[in-house]
Amino acid sequence: MEYRSQRIAYSYFVIALLLFGLQVVTGLWLSLSYFITIPQAIVDAFPFSTARAMHTNLLVLWLLLGFMGATFFMIPEETKRELLWPKLAVVQLILLVGTGVAALVGFLFGWTQGKPLLEIPRPLDVVIVVAALMFLFNVGLTMFKAKRWTVTQGSLLAGLTFLSVLYLFGIPFYKNLTVDWYYWWWVIHLWVEGAWELVVAALTAFMLIKLTGVERKVVEKWLYVELGLFLFTGIAGTGHHYYWLGAPKYWLWVGGIFSALEPVPILLMVFDTYRHMKESKLPFVPKLTWTYLVANVVLHFVGAGLFGFAHTLPMINYYTHGSQVTVAHGHLSFFGAYVLFNLTFFYFAIPRLKGFPDGQYKEKRGYWGFWLTSLGVLGMSLAFAVAGVLQTYLERVQGQPYMIAQKPIRFWMLIVFAHGILMVLTGAVIIISHLLTLKPAKA
Amino acid sequence: MSDKVAKWIFWAGTIISVLVLLVLTIDSHKQFNYLTNVDKLDARVIAGKKTFEKHNCNDCHTILGFGSYYAPDLTRAYTRLGEDSIQRRLKHPESVFSDSFRKMPQQNLAGQEIADLLAFFRWVSEIRNNDWPPQHSETRWKRSTDKMLASAAISPGAALVLQENCLDCHTLGSRGVAKGQRLEWIAQSRDALWMADFLKNPEAIAPGVDMPAYDHLSKEQRLKIAEFIVSLKTHRGED
Repeated sequence: MEYRSQRIAYSYFVIALLLFGLQVVTGLWLSLSYFITIPQAIVDAFPFSTARAMHTNLLVLWLLLGFMGATFFMIPEETKRELLWPKLAVVQLILLVGTGVAALVGFLFGWTQGKPLLEIPRPLDVVIVVAALMFLFNVGLTMFKAKRWTVTQGSLLAGLTFLSVLYLFGIPFYKNLTVDWYYWWWVIHLWVEGAWELVVAALTAFMLIKLTGVERKVVEKWLYVELGLFLFTGIAGTGHHYYWLGAPKYWLWVGGIFSALEPVPILLMVFDTYRHMKESKLPFVPKLTWTYLVANVVLHFVGAGLFGFAHTLPMINYYTHGSQVTVAHGHLSFFGAYVLFNLTFFYFAIPRLKGFPDGQYKEKRGYWGFWLTSLGVLGMSLAFAVAGVLQTYLERVQGQPYMIAQKPIRFWMLIVFAHGILMVLTGAVIIISHLLTLKPAKA
Repeated sequence: MSDKVAKWIFWAGTIISVLVLLVLTIDSHKQFNYLTNVDKLDARVIAGKKTFEKHNCNDCHTILGFGSYYAPDLTRAYTRLGEDSIQRRLKHPESVFSDSFRKMPQQNLAGQEIADLLAFFRWVSEIRNNDWPPQHSETRWKRSTDKMLASAAISPGAALVLQENCLDCHTLGSRGVAKGQRLEWIAQSRDALWMADFLKNPEAIAPGVDMPAYDHLSKEQRLKIAEFIVSLKTHRGED
C-alpha cells in the first residue's frame, strides 16, 4: 500500500465477505425448499419468494461492494494521488449497507418492488442513486484532477458510469409487462455482459500489470481488443432475452447470432492471461492468489461462455427458457466471472493493505476454502444442469404438468443442497475467516 | 496487432452494437402495440400487474419465462386453467395444494385484487410471443384437437361433451369459454377413472370448485367423456 486512502477498500471488502456468507446461507434454504416439503405455516410466514429476493440481492450487493472496494484500492496507485474525498467513500459505504439492511428486513415484511433481482423498493432506490453519484464523483474527479489517464482507468470509469446509468432503467413502473422485461434486461444483461465485464477487465488488467511486471502497453492493447469484442457481442446480444417476451421476430436472429459470439472475447481473455503469464517478469507468488486468478479466467469461460452458449440459440432456448438450465448457467457464470474475481482481488489487495512484505501471506488454509467452494459450486451447477435437462424433456417436450415434472428433479436438488452445505458453505466460511485474519508469510 | 488496430476494434465493435440495439429498440416499440395488444391494456390490467408485484409472485413463478423457477409459468395460466381454477388457487392455496409436496402461501387477497390479477393474466395470455411456452402452446392444442375432431366420426364421448354443454365453461380446441380448465390440459395430468369420479361429485375432490355434479349420467357415460378427454393428450414426444 502506497497511499493512505487505499485503506478504505478494506471496510468494503470486510462487509462484502460477510454478505457473501449470508448469501450462501439463504441459497441453502432455497435448495432445501425444492427437496423437502415446507409446511404451509412456514410458507405463509417466510415464502420461497422472500428467501429468493434475499439470496439474489445479497449477491448483487456484495459483488458491487467488492468492485467498489477494488476501485478505491486501484485509483490512488493508478492516478498516483490520494482519493479526493476519503470520508465521502465512508459515507457512501454506510448509505449502501444501510439500504441493504433496510431492504433485507423490508423483504421479510413484504416490502418489495416485486421485480425479480430488482426487488429493492423505489424509495430505497433514491438512496442507491445518491450513493452511486457520490462514488462516481469521487472516483471520476480524482482521475480528472490527476490527469494521468490510462486505458485501465478509462475503462473502469466508463464501466462504472455505464453500470450506474443502466440501473435507472429498472426503477420506473412499466404498465406493459413486455416493455418491463425489455428494459429489465438492460439492467441485468447489460450489467453482467457489458458494464461489469468492463469493470472487472480493467481491474484484472491492473492486477496483471502488478503481478507479472509485463509492460502496461501490452496489457492495455489487449484490454482494448477484449473490451471491444465484449461490447460488440454483449450489447446486441441482449436480444437473446427477447425471443419469447412479445418482441419482433428479428430478435431471434440478432440475439442468436450476437450472443453465439459471446464466448469469443472470454476465450481471448483466457488466451491473453496465459500469454501475460508466459511473459511474466516476476515469479508466480503468492501461489494462492494466482490459483484464484487462473480459476477466475477458466470458470468465467466455462460458466458464462460454454454454459451460456449451450442454450443461447433460439431453437434450443425455446425448450430450455426459464428452466433449471438457466439456473445452472446463472450459478456457474456468476461464480466464475464475478465471485472468483472479487476473491482474487481480495487476496491480491488485503496483504498489500496490511503492508505484508511483497504482498505475501500464509496460504495453506486458503487452499481448502478455494477447492471446497469451487468444486462445490461446480458440482452444484452440474446438478442444476441435470435437473434442467430433465425439466426440459419432461415438461417442455413431453408436456407433463409442471409439478409432475418436478418430482424427479427433487433428488437433484438434494444433490445441490449437499454440495451447498458440505462444500460451498464450509469453503466460504474458511475463505472469509482466512481473508479476515490474514497473516504475513514467514520471512 | 498495432495499438491503432486495437483501438479501432474497440470503437467499431462498441458503436456498431449500440446502434443495432438502439435502432431495433425503436422499431420494437412500434411493434409492441400489435404484439402485446396495447388497446386491451386497461386500468384493470395495470392494477393486476401492481398486485402481481405487491405480492412478489414473480419470485416463485416465471412469467414469459422470467423470474424464479419454483412454481409453474404463468404466461398462459389464463387459457390453461381458466378463471375459476385461478381464483381457487389464489383464495385457498392451502386446500388446493394440500396434497402437493410444494406449497403456495396464503396471501389473503382482497376480491378486487383477484379480479385485477385475472384481468392481468388474461391480457398476458394474449401476448404474441412466438408461441412460448411449448408445454402450454394453445396453437398446438387447437391444431391437434381440430384435426382429431375433423378426421374421426364423432365419438360417444365427444357427443356427450356437447350434449352436457361442457364448452360453456371449458375450452376445447378453438371453442369454449375459459372459466374452467382447458380439456387438453386436464388430459395431460389426469386419467380416465379419476375424471369419471370427479364428474360425479367435483366438490368431494376439489372443495369450493365452481362446477356442477354430473351424477345424472351413468358411470359408463362419465367414463366415455373421460376417455374422450384423455384422447386429447398431445405432446409426449409427438406433435
